[in-house]
Amino acid sequence: MIKLLNVSKIYQPDIKALNQVTLHIKPGEFVSIVGQSGTGKTTVIKALIGEERVSSGKVIIGGWDVTRIKPADVPFLRRQIGVIFQDFKLLPKKSLEENIAFALQVCGQAPKKIKTIVPHVMKIVGLEDKMRRCPNEVSGGEQQRAAIARALVHRPKILLADEPTGNLDSINTKDIIDLLLKINKFGTTVVLVTHNREVVNRLKRRVITLDRGCLISDQECGKYIL
Amino acid sequence: MFLSLIRVIKFSLQDIYRNIWLSLVTVTILILALFSVNMLLAVEAISRAAIDSVKEKIDINLYLKSEANDEEILAVKSKVSNLEEVKEVRYISKEEAMEKFNEKHKNDPDMLEALKELNDNPLTPTLVIRAKDIDQYGSLIAKINAIDSPAIESRNFNDHKTILKRIDAITTKVSEAGAIISLIFVLITAFLVYNSIRVAIYIHRREIGIMRLVGASNSFIKMPYLVSSAIYTLAGLLAVIAIFFPFLGLLQPYLEAFFIDYNIDIISYFSNNFLKIFGLQFLALAAVNAIASLIAVSKYSKV
Repeated sequence: MIKLLNVSKIYQPDIKALNQVTLHIKPGEFVSIVGQSGTGKTTVIKALIGEERVSSGKVIIGGWDVTRIKPADVPFLRRQIGVIFQDFKLLPKKSLEENIAFALQVCGQAPKKIKTIVPHVMKIVGLEDKMRRCPNEVSGGEQQRAAIARALVHRPKILLADEPTGNLDSINTKDIIDLLLKINKFGTTVVLVTHNREVVNRLKRRVITLDRGCLISDQECGKYIL
Repeated sequence: MFLSLIRVIKFSLQDIYRNIWLSLVTVTILILALFSVNMLLAVEAISRAAIDSVKEKIDINLYLKSEANDEEILAVKSKVSNLEEVKEVRYISKEEAMEKFNEKHKNDPDMLEALKELNDNPLTPTLVIRAKDIDQYGSLIAKINAIDSPAIESRNFNDHKTILKRIDAITTKVSEAGAIISLIFVLITAFLVYNSIRVAIYIHRREIGIMRLVGASNSFIKMPYLVSSAIYTLAGLLAVIAIFFPFLGLLQPYLEAFFIDYNIDIISYFSNNFLKIFGLQFLALAAVNAIASLIAVSKYSKV
């Protein structure tokens, strides 16, 4: 489902964000990509969604060869992958409901269907009574849950989470991770990028460790080793 | 297709409403820009009308002999009237000429005293000839010079030629200068409007990036901003029309007082050319806004 084959990313003039990284993630897996700040974790996510072009190697996700994708096809790739970010990336002038509906509107979904799906998804993430609120009117945890709802609303097979708990307290962090586990239980492949030791150690799932752009460890029931 | 169009318009109106202060500022800048352009048009129209009026008032005086009889005078008048360049011929008798002279110099006692010294009326009857077009005075003078009549006292038009040349040169230079200034001004205005729209979209740059990351296509992102820029254009233009015509109404009496005897009606000019003036402004402004929107959105959607 997700393959990185000898992927390197060099930022000019000579900063190696990724150095010959090869990894394979199977459908339905829950994988944590860990490492200290600046080790290339976010670069992996950006490479997977076509936000960054790799310098060499191949990136394949959900059947798409991202290294060869045309710019006009990038939106179609992103509609099939759910992505959540550390800074939530919600549209500030839209309500939570409108933010989530937006992900369906870009796919051309009919208004009737959107009106059915959105409240259902908001209920799953526990935001059914905050539909009309704007992002600046809710807490960080609630914003992240809204972002997760937006990522899930078109039922992607893959969910990429880039430091989703980076701006949250421990209670909200636990809620978000529990939500991700719940999503994974339904069959969605989850890739969690984090530098949170406690989260990784509690999960007891596959852990891929990066250090200075290189893959140094890949353990099935791993721990945070750095 | 229809659903996409509805969504685009809905997003556009939502964006305008939810960023109301930004929208108002943008429209205000458009209003100021359009008002300036229309003021420039008004100044141009007034100066053109004034120049045309001056040109219209230029005439040639053909002096006739004091002893010429009515038959001879009528014959000359008829010959001159039949020339194709002639718009109007007016006969001024000796007595009428004297009346005009006294009126003109009523505040100049020395001149009046000098005239009293002469017992007889020294002024001669005159044919005042006006051409249809200032450019035709040259050929008109040549044809008048060719008229053979015992009633004609003198036909020296050299002064006229000099004056006409000077007036023509001045009016041409005024028109050219006006055109250059107008062009510079319009370019500055277009640049100002272009940058206003780019700044408005710059404020949305983060949102544009988020939309792109969520899977929105370039057209899905750009179209609402294009619609918004068209709405801003229309709102700005309507506001300017609502402000400008009353302003012209206030200006008109002052114009009439300043340009006495000149037929300058600025309201009629704008009314008669309404579609041309405001239609062109709408199209030009919409084009500038659209280009600015497309360039700005393209820049911030490279994610």
